[in-house]
Amino acid sequence: MTTGIRIEGLTKRYGEGETAVDALTGVDMSVAPGEVVGLIGPSGSGKSTLLKCLGAVIEPTSGRMILGDDVIYDNGWKIDDLRALRRDKIGYVFQAPYLIPFLDVTDNVALLPMLAGVANGIARERAVELLGALDIAHRAKAMPSQISGGEQQRVSIARALVNRPPVILADEPTAPLDSVRALTVIRILHEMALRYETAIIVVTHDEKIIPTFKRIYHIRDGKTHEEVGEGRALPGADHA
Amino acid sequence: MKGLPFKGRTMALVAVLLALLGLFAFVALRSGPLAPVAVTVTTVTSRSVAPAVFGIGTVESRYRYRVGPTAIGRVTRLLVDVGDRVVAGQLLGEMDPVDLDERIRALDAAYQRTDAAVREAELRRSFAQTQAERYEQLLAVRSTSEEIVATRQQERQVADVALLATRAERARAGDERAALLAQRRNLRLVAPAAGLVSARDVDPGTTVAAGQTVVEIVDPTSLWLSVRFDQSSARGLQSGLSTRILLRSRRGEPLPGRVARVEPRADAVTEETMAKVAFTSALDPLPPLGELAEVTVSLPATANAPVIPNAAVQRVDGQSGLWTIVRGDLRFTPVTLGASDLDGNVQVRSGISVGDRIVVYSAKALSARSRITVVDRIPGVAP
Amino acid sequence: MISLAGRDIQHEWGKYVFTGIGLGLLIGVTLTMAGVYRGMVDDGKALLDNSGAELWVVQKETLGPYAEPSSLNDDAYRSILAVQGVAQAANITYLTMQVRSDERDVRAMVVGIASGEAGTPGWPPYLVAGRQITRSHYEAVADIAAGFALGDRIRIRRNHYTVVGLTRRMVSSGGDPMVFIPLKDAQEAQFLRDNDAVVQSRRRTSENPAFNRAGVPGLLDAVITSQSRNPFVNAVLVRLRPGYASDDVASSIERWQRLTVYTRPEMEGILVGKLIATSARQIGMFLVILAIVSAAIVAFIIYTMTLGKIREIAVLKLIGTRNRTIASMIMQQALGLGLIGFAVGKIAASFWAPFFPKYVLLIPGDTIAGFFAVVVICMLASLIAIRAALRVDPADAIGG
Repeated sequence: MTTGIRIEGLTKRYGEGETAVDALTGVDMSVAPGEVVGLIGPSGSGKSTLLKCLGAVIEPTSGRMILGDDVIYDNGWKIDDLRALRRDKIGYVFQAPYLIPFLDVTDNVALLPMLAGVANGIARERAVELLGALDIAHRAKAMPSQISGGEQQRVSIARALVNRPPVILADEPTAPLDSVRALTVIRILHEMALRYETAIIVVTHDEKIIPTFKRIYHIRDGKTHEEVGEGRALPGADHA
Repeated sequence: MKGLPFKGRTMALVAVLLALLGLFAFVALRSGPLAPVAVTVTTVTSRSVAPAVFGIGTVESRYRYRVGPTAIGRVTRLLVDVGDRVVAGQLLGEMDPVDLDERIRALDAAYQRTDAAVREAELRRSFAQTQAERYEQLLAVRSTSEEIVATRQQERQVADVALLATRAERARAGDERAALLAQRRNLRLVAPAAGLVSARDVDPGTTVAAGQTVVEIVDPTSLWLSVRFDQSSARGLQSGLSTRILLRSRRGEPLPGRVARVEPRADAVTEETMAKVAFTSALDPLPPLGELAEVTVSLPATANAPVIPNAAVQRVDGQSGLWTIVRGDLRFTPVTLGASDLDGNVQVRSGISVGDRIVVYSAKALSARSRITVVDRIPGVAP
Repeated sequence: MISLAGRDIQHEWGKYVFTGIGLGLLIGVTLTMAGVYRGMVDDGKALLDNSGAELWVVQKETLGPYAEPSSLNDDAYRSILAVQGVAQAANITYLTMQVRSDERDVRAMVVGIASGEAGTPGWPPYLVAGRQITRSHYEAVADIAAGFALGDRIRIRRNHYTVVGLTRRMVSSGGDPMVFIPLKDAQEAQFLRDNDAVVQSRRRTSENPAFNRAGVPGLLDAVITSQSRNPFVNAVLVRLRPGYASDDVASSIERWQRLTVYTRPEMEGILVGKLIATSARQIGMFLVILAIVSAAIVAFIIYTMTLGKIREIAVLKLIGTRNRTIASMIMQQALGLGLIGFAVGKIAASFWAPFFPKYVLLIPGDTIAGFFAVVVICMLASLIAIRAALRVDPADAIGG
C-alpha cells in the first residue's frame, strides 16, 4: 500500500513502577487508502489512548506507526515537527464540530492550508471546493452559530479533508445525531474516503452505524483484534 | 444576502474605533498644554478720559465747641441735653461755686470798710487842711508860733497821704471783689455761638477737671466731610474741584460737593492725603456726625489719546506693556501710561497707536511663544 | 494567513469594546489621580508665579507668608526700596477666610494688594473679565473659582465690596480661590472683628483706670484709636532691577533690615517641600496603589478573556496551529484592548478633570508614561495568559 496507516505492536504505559497503568499492550492495525474502518471498544479499553497516539498527540511507549510511506514512530518519534504532521497528515473529526466560532465557514476550512503557508485566495478556493463536495457551499459565508448541527459537522469533515491528509481520525462523529443524520455522516465519510483516497478510522459505539463498516477493530484491555463487518449499504438520499 | 451582517459588524467596529481616535485627537489638541490660549482682543481708540480721585470721608462739623470749666469743680446743673438747639450766649449749665459766693460777700464787706476808711481819711484831711489854713492866717498876723504852723502843715500832709492810702486800699478791695466776680461768672457755662448740642459727657453732680468737655456744641449748618485719599492716586487734587458724595446711609442718592481745602499736612503713617469736602446742596435730614461717605473728586478731562483697559496692562521682564497682535502674531509692546479714570480706562502716552489690536483678557498667562485663539468671551465667565 | 486576533475581535466586538471602555475608565481614574498630584504642585507654583515677585520678605525666622504666619510693619517696605537692586517693593497680606455674597459663602484667600498700577507685585497678572482695582477701598477682583460674577456685592468681615474683575487660576496653595482687595481694607479685615467685639473691646479699655484718667482728657480716645489700627502686613514682595542677582539682593536685605528673605527657588522648596509635602505623599501613595490595582485588573481581564477561549485554543493546537501564532493572537488582542482602554481613559480624564473642585493637571509626560505603562502591562498580562494557553494539551480536544 502506498498511503494509509499501519500500526505494529503499539504500547502505552502511563506512570511508573507500582502505579503504572498499561493502557495499550500491543495494538496492530492497518487501514488502506479509501477504506473506512470502525474502532469499537468499551470505555476504559484504551480507545482514547489509541486515538491520541494515532493523532500524534501523545507519545506511545513502544511499537511502530507508519503513515503512508513514512515511519513516523519507531520506539521514538521519527518526525521532528509533530505539529506540521498533525496539520498536514492527519485529519480530525470530533464528536462536536469544534469549529472556530469567530471564523466563518469558509475560513474555518481554509485555516488549515493557510497555516501550512498556502496563500489565502488558494486556500479559500480549496475550501469552497470541499464545501461544494459536501453540499454546503451555500453556507460558505455563514458563521458557525448560524448553521445547524449537521451542517457544522459537515464543515468539520471538510476541514479534516482540506489538506488531503492520508488519514482521518473520527471520534464518535455520530454520537449526538439521529439515525438518519448519522447514516448520512457515515455515507459522506465513505464517499470522501474514496474520492480523496484517505484512510478513515471511526471510533464509535453507535449501533446505528456499526453495521455499515466492512472491517471493524475491537479493542479490549489494550489489545485489538480484527473482525469482518456487515458492510451494510447506505441510503443514497441526502438529508442534511 | 448573508454578507450583510458580517460587513455590518466590521463597519460598526471600524466606526467605533474611528470615533475613539477622533475624540482622542480632539482631546489632545484642544485641552492640555497643546491647546491654544483663548484671548479677547480690542482695537485701540483715541478719546479723553475723566480722571477722578476716590477717598473715604467722615461727616464732621466745621466748628466744634467743647464747653467746660477752667478749674476743677463739680457740675451743679445742666440746662441742655443732646439734640437741643442753643443760641449764642445761652446758659448751658453751672459749676458749683462752693465758697465763692461767701468770699464775694466777705469782699463786699471789706470794700465797704475801706470805703468808710476813705471817708474818714477825707474828713481828717479836710480838718487838717482847715487847721493848716487857720494857723497860716494866724501866722500872717503873728498870733501864733511857726512851730505850731509847721505842725499843722505836717498834719495836713499826713492826712493827704493817709487819704491816698485808704483810696488805694479801697481800689484793691474793689479789684479783689471784681476778680472773684469774674471767677463766679466763669462757673456759668455759656454757649459761645449758636448751634446744636452734640454731646453731653457728664451729668450734674460729677466732678470735672479743668479743660474737660462738659457739653459739645456743633454748627449743623456747617457740616463737611473730612476725606482721606491714597497719596499715590491723589494727583491733581486741589480745592475748588467738584465732587460726588455717597453717604453710607444713602447709597442710591449721590450728593454734589466741592473740595473746600486740601490739608497742608498729610498722614505720613497711613500714606494718605487729607482734604475737606463741603456739601453744595442742602441736606435734609442732616447726616449724623461720623457717618462714612465715599467721595469721588472729578478732575478735568484730559485731551484725546489712545485709551486701553487697565486689564490689558501686563508686566514682562520688568517693563509695563501690552500684548499686541501684529499680523496674527503675538508681541509684547512696552508702553508708558498716562491718566486713568476710575472705570479702568488708561491713556497711553507712548508705545502704541490708534487702531492697534491688543489682548485684553486671556485664559492663561501669555508668553511670546503662546498660540492664541481669539474669542468673544473667555470660557467660564458668565455673560 | 488571516488575523485570528482581528477576526475574534470582530466577532465579539461589542464585548471587546465594552471591556475596553471599562478598562479605560480605570485607566482614566489612574491618570486623573496623577493629575490631582500634579495639580497640587501646580497650585503651589501658580501661587508663586501670580504674585509676580522675585523675593519674599517676611518676619524674621518664619517660613511665611504661606507656610507660617508672618507679621511685618507696613512701613518696612520703604527701607527695602532703598536697598540696591530693588526695583519694586509692595506690601501684601494674606488671610484665608469666609467671603459671603447674597446666596453663598465661599472659603477664599483674601489678598490685600498695595495701591499702585497694574504690574505692582501682588496684583493679579492677567484678568479674564472686568478691570483691575482703581479705588482705594471697597473694590475686589475675584477668581472665577469662587463663583462670583462681575458686579456682585460680597461681604468680607464688616465691609461690602463690589467685584470689578475676574481672574483664573489665582488660587492659594490649598486650592482656595483668591479675592484681591485694597491693602488697607485687608489690614482692617485681618485685625478688626465684628462690631460686637469692637464695642466690647472699647468698653474694656475704658474701664481700665490706666487709660481712663480724669486729669487727662483725650487719653482714652487716643488709646482706643491706636488699638483700632493695624500697622502690620504679612510680607513685602520685591521685584529686582535687571542685572541684579536675587541671592545678592536677598542677603543685603537680610543683613541690613534684620528680616528673612526667600528667593523663588527657596519659596518653591518651602511650598512644595513643606506645605504640600504630606498631601502630595498621600496622593502619591494612593496613585501607586491605584496603578498596581489597575495593572492587576488589566492582567486579570486579559487572562479571563484567554481562558474563555481555551477550547478554541486546544482545537487550534490540535489542527496544527503553531504556538507562535496562538501567542501572537493573544498578545495582539491584549494590546488592542490596552490601546482602546488608554484612549478611553485619556478622553474620560480630559472630560471630567475640569469638574473637580481642585485643579487637575494632565501633562503630556504623564500621558506618555501612562501609555507605555499600559502597553507594558498588557504585554506582561498577555504573557501570563499565553503561558496558560501554551500549556493546554491538544489532547484535551479529543475528549474521553
